[in-house]
Amino acid sequence: MQKNISTILKSVSKPARYTGGEFGQIIKDKEKIKTRIAFCFPDTYEIGMSNLGMKILYGALNELDYVWCERCFAPWPDMEEKMRKNGIGLFTLESKDEIKDFDIMAISMQYELCYTTAINMIDLSGLNVWASERDESDPIILGGGPCAYNAEPVAEFFDIFSIGEGEEALVELAELYTKMKQDGTYTKSAFLREASHLEGFYVPSLYDVEYNEDGTISKFEPKYDDVPKKVVKRIVNDLNTSYFPLKPVMPYIETVHDRIMLETFRGCIRGCRFCQAGMVYRPVREKSAEVLNAQAQAIYKNTGYNEISLTSLSISDYSCLHEATDLLLDWTDKKKINLSLPSLRADSFTRELMRKISGVRSSGLTFAPEAGTQRLRDAINKNLYEKDLLNAVHLAFEGGKSQVKLYFMNGLPTETYEDIEGISTLASLVVDEYYKTEGRPRRPVSVTVSVSCFVPKPHTPFQWEGQDSLESLRDKQIFLAEKITDHKIRYNWHEAKVSRLEAVFSKGNRRLSKAIYEAQRRGMRFDAWDEYFSYENWLDVFDSVGIDMDFYATRKMGYDEILPWDVIDIGVSKSFLISENKKAYESVTTPNCKEKCSGCGANKLGKELTWCPHRK
Amino acid sequence: MVPTQEITKVRIKFSKVGDLMYISHLDLARTMQRIILRSELDIWYSEGFNPQPKMVFAQPLPTGVESVCELLDIKLNSYMDCEEIKERLNRNFPREMRVLDVYTPEEKIKEIAFTEYKISLYSDKIGENTQEDVEKLFTGECLLEKKTKSGVKEINVSDYIKEISAKADGNELTLIVILHSSAEKTLSPEILVEAMRKYLGIMTSDGIDEHYSIMRERMLKSDLSEFR
Repeated sequence: MQKNISTILKSVSKPARYTGGEFGQIIKDKEKIKTRIAFCFPDTYEIGMSNLGMKILYGALNELDYVWCERCFAPWPDMEEKMRKNGIGLFTLESKDEIKDFDIMAISMQYELCYTTAINMIDLSGLNVWASERDESDPIILGGGPCAYNAEPVAEFFDIFSIGEGEEALVELAELYTKMKQDGTYTKSAFLREASHLEGFYVPSLYDVEYNEDGTISKFEPKYDDVPKKVVKRIVNDLNTSYFPLKPVMPYIETVHDRIMLETFRGCIRGCRFCQAGMVYRPVREKSAEVLNAQAQAIYKNTGYNEISLTSLSISDYSCLHEATDLLLDWTDKKKINLSLPSLRADSFTRELMRKISGVRSSGLTFAPEAGTQRLRDAINKNLYEKDLLNAVHLAFEGGKSQVKLYFMNGLPTETYEDIEGISTLASLVVDEYYKTEGRPRRPVSVTVSVSCFVPKPHTPFQWEGQDSLESLRDKQIFLAEKITDHKIRYNWHEAKVSRLEAVFSKGNRRLSKAIYEAQRRGMRFDAWDEYFSYENWLDVFDSVGIDMDFYATRKMGYDEILPWDVIDIGVSKSFLISENKKAYESVTTPNCKEKCSGCGANKLGKELTWCPHRK
Repeated sequence: MVPTQEITKVRIKFSKVGDLMYISHLDLARTMQRIILRSELDIWYSEGFNPQPKMVFAQPLPTGVESVCELLDIKLNSYMDCEEIKERLNRNFPREMRVLDVYTPEEKIKEIAFTEYKISLYSDKIGENTQEDVEKLFTGECLLEKKTKSGVKEINVSDYIKEISAKADGNELTLIVILHSSAEKTLSPEILVEAMRKYLGIMTSDGIDEHYSIMRERMLKSDLSEFR
């Protein structure tokens, strides 16, 4: 097979996306392997190879000597065309074997706009995209990643979903699969039934869903008594002892994040009301500074990377940040390795931190106030004050930075035009702060205001909210463009049509599978890429299958409505989410987990409570 | 006794074969930097605001071409035995790259005048007469447009060929060709495939029924002796 594709590779863009062979890739002897897993990422090699989750799961599964986990990324349309024309099925990078012959096809579902690409990967493997149409000999198709927290729009294409953190769960699933294959008890249905008893696995075909006439759900129940009513997400308890990849695959071609990614902690203490990550990754669990430093040294030895990025949802909330950066800088400076700290919060940015990252070559910093007025920041529970932001940029300017990027959102619940004008005011204050700062650089300041559109997300306090209409979002974008007159402020905004489609899928139910299937059939894919996204095509698709996008995107849901994702239990209770939703309308904030426990419920997931930060 | 605190120059001869032909020169340079760092070679960094490990490749290898004679010069801050360097690098090379030799260079890179390639083609359009056709094509006038930095210009491919031999066997054709390869005059071997495509109609399909590979075999000085 490898020989046959060589001519094709010479005629496609970026052939190295399809060849594998990188330092660190794992090759095993097929004869000694019992279970073969194809880990598929429904986007390009450059995007997929930057995903830390994939690195972790690839490594963790390959720790098992009877499992061989290989990688596969979505071929770019020029490659897909050549593959289809020459009858080449989707294959993995390691063995170049076709995925249809694997035991498990695991697809990482990172964002809603990858749905058509994911389904297309199933089709390109020569498999039927509908789970119910596939037979015993076909691979089990497993989904996971953030989109699995509401997998309903793609539920009919998958056999099973992994809910929550996968490094321990997937190992258990592979164990179960191998055991059932070995002792002869395996049938697809027996396996799926058994797997539904494992913690953190959702088998959509084992649930009945019925609808009311208005399209809302009337019943969502397991078909059998032994199938859990709610699937509780999996978490890893101790990041100091859990698996972390120390010898990642080294891409030849430049990927989006081509550096050492060191995970510092999971979860977030903050609880911003729009943020899905802040809810679904609870509770907070930290890695110790010593373990972090030891992992960094090992990965550096194994990779030769000259940049280390400390990843988390909010790095300045890491309680061992100073200890960890001291340990790291002690050797990284000498070896000319850059240390970068993305996801900084303005209110915990200090002079000391500024000093530590001053070696980083970038001349800019990014903060995310999200909203332009204190009232709206309180409503979304951002817990950030104007003075915090101005203090942070002041320190950044003093430390030699002259570029600041500020992230905001339009269309947040309770937003008024006063809030939008506040974005412009805040940006101007940042410009003023620059010229007030003694010892600032001599260059002119550059402030970039980047405004995205609010997308209501499942499992957040704003899950019941409807999205702003397209017209309203556009009006708001134009209004802000007119308010920003200072040429030192650059204004970017996101295409509202993209956010609209995200909202439809985020809050979608099983009925949407018809639309996704139709879109894939029409050749639509790579919706996250400007060159392939077409809102007009999507309108046409929804129209042709008789689905009203507004029902999903803009309709406000009731607290007592059965939500498509209610079958998933993320640990945070619905009553907490309701109370947070109500507090938003009163602009009342909730303290962060370090200040006070607000009883969200996520700590029920752990064996001990010690890692909830306020209990330390 | 070798001084230990003197900057030493070493030349690394390595192969880059198989799927690695798809890795561009720029990607190779970045890959090589990481290989050297994880091999813990005490490489000399350039001075300045953004210090980079200093590496000089003899001749960039075109994407799509394999090689068994790539040369890379690096400087080390302290002496290390050549065998030790070779061993460390090979431990950190990907599967399809191997260090063949490490030595102290005596010849200057600019002494390279020619490069020898082996081009192997497979096509059902290759037959009895192909060998003769190819020889005729590349010894007579063979005009082709070549993209240069200053635009497109027409060249005679044969002017760039020092020596060529062709051998057909069934549907397979093998060319051994020595191309000019100096700063003033150089040609990518892909151009020969392009010429055959244009004038002989082989390698025209975009499917899997025709394929070819190009291997860079040797780098030569002006007297056609091997460059070292």
